[in-house]
Amino acid sequence: MITIIDYGMGNLGSVVNMLRRVEAECEVTGDPARIASASRILLPGVGAFDAAMERIDAAGIRQVLDDKALHQRVPVLGICLGMQLLTRGSEEGKRPGLGWIPADTRRLPGDLGIKIPHMGWNVAERTRQCPLTERLEGEIRFYFVHSYCVQTDDPRDTVLRTRYGVDFAAAVQRDNIMGAQFHPEKSHRFGMQLLRNFAELPC
Amino acid sequence: MLRTRVIPALLVRDGCLVKTIRFGRFAYVGDPCNTVRIFNELEVDELLVLDISRDRAVRGPDLRLIADLADECFMPLGYGGGVRSLDDARAIFATGVEKVVVNTAAVARPDLIGEIATVYGSQAVIVSIDVKRGLLGAQTVRTGNGRRRTGLDSVAWAKEAARLGAGEILLTSIEREGTWDGFDLDLVHRVADAVTVPVIAHGGAGSLRDISDAVAKGGASAVALGSMVVFQKRGMGVLVNFPDTLSLKGILG
Amino acid sequence: MHRLDPDISRAGVRICSRCIYDERVPSISFDSEGVCNYCRQVERLTAQYGTGAPEGEAHLAQIIEGIRAQGRGRRYDCVIGVSGGTDSSFLVHWAVEQGLRPLAVHYDNTWNTAIATQNIRKVLAGTEVDLHTHVVDNKEADDIFRSFFLAGVAEIEAATDLGYAYTLRRAAAKYGVSAILEGHSFVAEGITPLGRNYFDGKYIQAIHQRFGTRPLRTYPLMTFSRFLKSAIVDRPKFIRPLWYLHYSKEEAQDLLRQRYGWQYYGGHHLENRMTAFYHGIYMPQKFGGDLRNNTLSARVRNGSMDRASAWAEYNSPPTVERQLLEYFLKRLGVSALEFDRVMKEPPRHWSDYPTYKRRFERLRPLFAALAKADLVPMSFYLKYCFPAKAPE
Repeated sequence: MITIIDYGMGNLGSVVNMLRRVEAECEVTGDPARIASASRILLPGVGAFDAAMERIDAAGIRQVLDDKALHQRVPVLGICLGMQLLTRGSEEGKRPGLGWIPADTRRLPGDLGIKIPHMGWNVAERTRQCPLTERLEGEIRFYFVHSYCVQTDDPRDTVLRTRYGVDFAAAVQRDNIMGAQFHPEKSHRFGMQLLRNFAELPC
Repeated sequence: MLRTRVIPALLVRDGCLVKTIRFGRFAYVGDPCNTVRIFNELEVDELLVLDISRDRAVRGPDLRLIADLADECFMPLGYGGGVRSLDDARAIFATGVEKVVVNTAAVARPDLIGEIATVYGSQAVIVSIDVKRGLLGAQTVRTGNGRRRTGLDSVAWAKEAARLGAGEILLTSIEREGTWDGFDLDLVHRVADAVTVPVIAHGGAGSLRDISDAVAKGGASAVALGSMVVFQKRGMGVLVNFPDTLSLKGILG
Repeated sequence: MHRLDPDISRAGVRICSRCIYDERVPSISFDSEGVCNYCRQVERLTAQYGTGAPEGEAHLAQIIEGIRAQGRGRRYDCVIGVSGGTDSSFLVHWAVEQGLRPLAVHYDNTWNTAIATQNIRKVLAGTEVDLHTHVVDNKEADDIFRSFFLAGVAEIEAATDLGYAYTLRRAAAKYGVSAILEGHSFVAEGITPLGRNYFDGKYIQAIHQRFGTRPLRTYPLMTFSRFLKSAIVDRPKFIRPLWYLHYSKEEAQDLLRQRYGWQYYGGHHLENRMTAFYHGIYMPQKFGGDLRNNTLSARVRNGSMDRASAWAEYNSPPTVERQLLEYFLKRLGVSALEFDRVMKEPPRHWSDYPTYKRRFERLRPLFAALAKADLVPMSFYLKYCFPAKAPE
């Protein structure tokens, strides 16, 4: 069972739709009590960094999330902005992030003549083996929409790397904390395989 | 870097999938949901659905249909047809659609573009411009599914739309649409030259060569296919299809 | 048929000694050698048509020559129904190799999958054959499907089957073509017993009139008079090359794959979602029926599969596309509750509704003559013009 955190940001419908298509049981909740009994957590997000961190605090779920991620160490997957929230902080905002992985979120370079946001399909290169990225075959591609990107302190925490002006982490994994910068729910077969992998992780 | 995008553009009318020639002569093509499901199985990168039902502009978008289509789509979906206001856009995005396409309403009230772009980002707004040549050859903008003349010059309107916040321009040649005769490269080139946002060339694609010409000669950033993806070949039977990746790589590099 | 023990030695029912049809198959009988009447029918037809033997091929060569001659000066000399499946795809390839100039014809019930359309595209592109399609309005198609579902009968695919048959006839008439090639192979598919797979125009009309809500405007309804008019006035001939040729589905699939990049849909009818629903959900759950024994038996007969494996596969659950049931409910506007209710209702039989069956039986001599002249398919004559066994 995947518990999708509803803190008022992000289009959860599409993610739920894809999870159902891959026959992964999921629930959507913003209730701290329900989150407390989660065995797997998916943190979605679309929008601005500070607004998201504010909402998480306002919803009173920060504590239970920290507990699940850092103490109980259940598998956690942050998607899009959700992945950026896993970091220490973002150049987009002033608030600190969740700090669950040693990494920073930085602005994509606007001075290289490339269009911001990075929007469209792009290739992701596997930088190391990881259960999250298993069975992704051939040229791995995902659909991206973002203006900020994550760069991990430890290169081994980056499991998929993409280049758009700069190299950045398309997907990360450090112990039980995982993230995907792209939209798996818009990346058909690749997104489905990634979510399937997440759903099948032992917990 | 990003590849050139090749996007199936589907036309819906009264809940059925149709195809037109020069915005007229409707041919029945099939079921919208099933067709979107097929494109999902074919793993196309992106899809455009335009509802050209007669009074969409008055009645607004059919949210039930849009939700049904969005449910079948595991890739970005752009929807257009009767998007009149920010409220319409909001309701459409809530169904899981990635981008809204505005046409008639944007010409009537250009501020609409910025209103949607401010809340959802420019990348979520496509301004669709349908162009027909006037008597003296001027490429002017039409609205209301090609029925209403606006007197606007296509290049001028495209520039204005981009300035107001359009993330992309969907540029359709009414004369070429459904003909398999190739894009109006002159039109594509003039608009692509004038704006910095991506231009999606639409109307007239008949072959892989047309697709590469739109990019190489027209300067388009992306190409939308209509007849090519719903018919087996020019003049022949309905067959939902999409050029295979190898062929596309071959012509687009 | 409820699933039995996949171990054939512990099946608990009488099974043909040659194929895997068992005693529950409608109208089945076993002779002194334990061989069923369906196997014997295949034997008889093989002898009659000289299937895979020089006589068969010679006869077929003659037929082809006739088609070529009649088609001279016209754009196409024959019509081939295509579905994206093995038999019809192979037939297009074969026809072109024989120097024929076919028009491929497809009836689109708006429930196709990508595999079907891709296969059609690839084979026709590789053989440079044109395609004519009749697409029925999606809302009409769904209205008919819903009608059959609510009527409680097994033949939810009847409208597709009939629509296909009539579309072939109409396309032949439209393009002035005198021959319709069909990919049916009694060796590869057997002759399906006329149990719960009845279809004719009156049946469809009756059920639609009773349970439907929209007028039929684009659905090609073949009424009796249209049927006769086509058979007697337009007179396209029905040719089944695979009744004469040596044909193996496996060999055909290898060839199609290599030559055209054709893809096998897995034997689970994944080429059309309604067919998949019918075989994977509707038949097993409501009628305890499973028609996989048809093709499996054929494979056992031609030696490409052993009886034990065929029986085991037959008695394991069918694969269905993910969320196929949700899609069915969404398309037909049926709620989950209503679906359960209808599925639990006692199954109805086609003989509960008006059909042309009696008329076909009464006019047997006429249809015998038409079948002999190839103006109606021989399988139609064999199945429809004789009294069917009473429903179980």
